[in-house]
Amino acid sequence: MSNYIAEFETLFRDVLENDDIVLTNETTAHDIEEWDSINHIYLVVEIEKHFKIKFSSSEILQWQNVGEMIQSVEAQK
Amino acid sequence: MLFNSFEFFIFLPIVFALYWFVLNKKLSIQNVLLLVASYVFYGWWDVRFLSLIMLSTILDYFVGLKIHNTEEPKKRKYWLWLSMGFNLGLLGFFKYFNFFVDSWITAFNSIGVKMDPFSLNIILPVGISFYTFQTMSYSLDIHKRKLVPTKNFVAFATFVAFFPQLVAGPIERASNLLPQFLKRRKFDNKLAIDGLRQMLWGLFKKVIIADNCAPYVNDIFADYSAQSSGTLILGVIVFAFQIYADFSGYTDIAIGTARLFGFDFKRNFNFPYFSRNISEFWKRWHISLSSWLNDYVFTPLAINFRNYKKQGIFAALFLTFLISGLWHGAGWTFIIWGGLHGLYYIPVIFSKKRFTSISTNKGGSKKQEFVISDVPKMILTFLMVCLTYIFFRAASVADALGYIKIIFTELPSWPSGVPYKSILFIIILMTAEWFQRGKEHGLQFNEDTRVPVYLRWIIYISLVLLILIFSGEQQQFIYFQF
Repeated sequence: MSNYIAEFETLFRDVLENDDIVLTNETTAHDIEEWDSINHIYLVVEIEKHFKIKFSSSEILQWQNVGEMIQSVEAQK
Repeated sequence: MLFNSFEFFIFLPIVFALYWFVLNKKLSIQNVLLLVASYVFYGWWDVRFLSLIMLSTILDYFVGLKIHNTEEPKKRKYWLWLSMGFNLGLLGFFKYFNFFVDSWITAFNSIGVKMDPFSLNIILPVGISFYTFQTMSYSLDIHKRKLVPTKNFVAFATFVAFFPQLVAGPIERASNLLPQFLKRRKFDNKLAIDGLRQMLWGLFKKVIIADNCAPYVNDIFADYSAQSSGTLILGVIVFAFQIYADFSGYTDIAIGTARLFGFDFKRNFNFPYFSRNISEFWKRWHISLSSWLNDYVFTPLAINFRNYKKQGIFAALFLTFLISGLWHGAGWTFIIWGGLHGLYYIPVIFSKKRFTSISTNKGGSKKQEFVISDVPKMILTFLMVCLTYIFFRAASVADALGYIKIIFTELPSWPSGVPYKSILFIIILMTAEWFQRGKEHGLQFNEDTRVPVYLRWIIYISLVLLILIFSGEQQQFIYFQF
């Protein structure tokens, strides 16, 4: 899990152009100013590209925080 | 019942006194009181409207429980579609029937198939777009397993019909508002006083600014072809402040009223005319609707279109804005208004590698830092929004185009009949909001405010006097028609 968090952090910092971002499993879009609805889509695309996976739409819509996003990645690895 | 009416002036203290001093022993009785009060408030327009909201409430209450208790995905979807179908059906029939029939007949006539005009005399129930959206989000969130439905029918019915926000929002989400009906509310002096201040500020915006701007704007739009370009430009700028004062004034009164009863609504406006780009504007204007459309329309669409990269995101955004236009009213003027806002995102989405550099604060209450170079950006954003308002306000697309044509083809001239009094009030409003931009509303005084108490009282008394002396002729709130 911790590996994934680190990889997620790199992706988030890159997409949201903010090197100060620190993620935990509980982080939500409310905690990061740059994480808005448009950037959310860019994040999904980058995560799928990075881990070479594809999420289902309903799965993406159910995510509540970073931890749940990571669980979705783990489920496919 | 209008907030700015004599009836409400009597209704509110009665409900307030019963709520805190007579029926304050049991939570369930307080909720019944709020439900009855809400139905009286709503039935004041037309008792027949009550049947629709009750039907929608009963259906969504049972459907919510059904979705939650069903495991099989297909059956869950079936229940969800029942709720969506019913609510969209209500909206479709009462709001859009005649528009769709008219558009259909015009389309056929234009290709040479003759059809006779046909329309039904349908009354639009006040607030239908607001409460149907609120109940739909309840079913959608339960379906996504983001919300657990309540078994308490009275709490749910009051959540749907709660009078401060029933007819023009804010469109509250069950996740924020419903739990507040299920736990004991305590009278909070600070919250109530802040509520009263926000109500006073809302009333000032509505009766001093919006109602005074209305006659000037109405005259110009009613006879635009006889006006000079200068008058037309001023007309739409004044309308921009009219609609802002009208709608955000309503919201202030709604939020303030809710606070008197110990409820906390989400913020709906965050000083939108200080926005530096269109994306920021939509994070500050009618936040409860834009976040609703964001969660239930834009995001699902954009996720499905994500393989088309920026084009996909733009398509999702553009469609969302067309729907937003249609939500506002059954007419092509509103659809074009939405479409223009969608088109404004083209530079935002396509010009930069990343979107982040232009996206801004998320409507937080921290004092946003502005720099002097932001001023031209604010003015440009405001003017872009004004251009869309011509479609929003005009009676038809042809009128809007005629209005724009005069502005852009005639030499600029000094406007006639300038409403100096209204402009002075607008300047007062914008100055106050500029200094209060880090607060939730223009009249909020909390711990970090350095306004002495005597000065605060001078402000309150001045506002009350202004309202008594300068209130414009009572006008219906603009957003009631949606």
